Amino acid sequence: MTKKIEIRCIKCPLGCLAEIAIHDENNVLDVANTQCKDGKGYVIAEFKSPVRVLTATVLTKSGSSKLLPVKTNRPIHKTRLLDCMDFISKVRVGPPIRMGQVIVSNILNLGADLVSTDELKN
Amino acid sequence: MISKDIDVAVIGSGPAGLAAAINAKEAGAENVTILERAEQPGGLLHQCVHNGYGLTYFNEDLTGPEYARRFIEKAMDLRVDIELESMVIDLSPDKELVCSSKYGLKKLQPRAIVLAMGCRERTRQQILIPGFNPSGIMTAGTAQRYVTCEGYIPGKEVVILGSGDVGMIMARRLTLEGVKVKAVVEILPYIGGLIRNEVQCLGDFNIPVYLSHTVTNIHGQQRIEGVSVSKVNKNFEPIEGTEFRIDCDLLLTSVGLIPENELSLKAGVKIDPVTGGPIVNENMESNVSGIFAGGNVVHVNDLVDNVSLESQISGTRAAEYALGKTLPSVRRINLKAGENIRYVVPQTIDVGKDVTIYMRVREPREKVRLGIGSIYSENLRVVKPSEMLKAKITLEQLREIKGEVSEIEVSCVKRG
Repeated sequence: MTKKIEIRCIKCPLGCLAEIAIHDENNVLDVANTQCKDGKGYVIAEFKSPVRVLTATVLTKSGSSKLLPVKTNRPIHKTRLLDCMDFISKVRVGPPIRMGQVIVSNILNLGADLVSTDELKN
Repeated sequence: MISKDIDVAVIGSGPAGLAAAINAKEAGAENVTILERAEQPGGLLHQCVHNGYGLTYFNEDLTGPEYARRFIEKAMDLRVDIELESMVIDLSPDKELVCSSKYGLKKLQPRAIVLAMGCRERTRQQILIPGFNPSGIMTAGTAQRYVTCEGYIPGKEVVILGSGDVGMIMARRLTLEGVKVKAVVEILPYIGGLIRNEVQCLGDFNIPVYLSHTVTNIHGQQRIEGVSVSKVNKNFEPIEGTEFRIDCDLLLTSVGLIPENELSLKAGVKIDPVTGGPIVNENMESNVSGIFAGGNVVHVNDLVDNVSLESQISGTRAAEYALGKTLPSVRRINLKAGENIRYVVPQTIDVGKDVTIYMRVREPREKVRLGIGSIYSENLRVVKPSEMLKAKITLEQLREIKGEVSEIEVSCVKRG
């Protein structure tokens, strides 16, 4: 069965609304309405695996600030962002923490570590 | 006593101030001091915990705190003196600064000054929404500070007025934190911020967007209980009979940013009525000799990377000024905003120095030609007010400007 879905390209301010023709759920047959190669590549990647870097904050038990900003060191599938937030809301950290330090390794088995994006001093 | 041993004083330690101070040092200024009113350097970047910073400057995708840290560390390595909890409260045309600090009032008279105070959000009071004034109405940036720095979630159900980048970023942040984002309401027929935020902040979470709509009433007396939303016509006037209500306990406004220039005005710096920031030349110097400016205090940028790049120029030129090494001007050319150009920065350039100019268009258009007099032409697939345009003009191109010309026009019109 062939069906068509639309994906907005974010490669440039043009923001083409690309139309992807798919066969058997995941075989891309054709990409229409993009105006460049970059856009076509982005749209196919976004269709196959829409991934995002998740950024958040975790509560600190003590230290120089109430919250420590964190991010996943790899993009994760966008459908798992809220699951990760649930997990992150239960995490507590204490000083000292340096920038880039792993806070949660392999979060929810998604293949990405949650790392600190700032330092936490005593 | 007035301290006079500072070469370059930078007001503000956000991305603009840090970049300016670093470059001032690198250009040979010995005593470079940043005056910062907050308890830590970095400015707004600390509350911007999301990624998307540094893509052009570092060719890396960084979060706000990571981007800030790189500049803070470099400034510290270069021994830039960063004075925290030091708020500049007065500035005179002869560059005398009054600064309120932990140790009391201080007076400084640096050889050169870089204004790097950034910008402020336009508030509800400035856009005149009718209705009561209950609690639960704040700017998107205030909510951002609550959520990402203070650990406080300011509501359970939110409506966001305006689709600027901060508003969209907060729509995503609040959704991730478990808040229901009921609507983003935008008076223009298109989204105000960057396309990637439209897709990744609104689209990813199916947040309802009402374009050509605005908030026409606020309900609730103690705490906000809801807003009325109406469709608007071409003149942005609410259309009668289109009003509907959305219940909420929080209204965020993301309705524009205004350069913060109270100090600049005290020093006699001339302000461009369109940008809201100082009128500057190719050195990022204002009309007041020795007072330079960089970043959002000059004009509101959409990318921090551009703030850093532009402020580096102010830092370098301020250092040269302080050291008496400023190159003499060859011939001044004014840049005039022509068709579909809202503003141009810098407003004046010199034919003796290559320069990068930044422009914003008035309205979105496709297949256009960006033209700067007869010396520069570039075809662009699309332009939008939310995406700043940038053009590098070389010395060779500047040499083409004929001797009698004192002004050239910048325009962005349809090709054909």
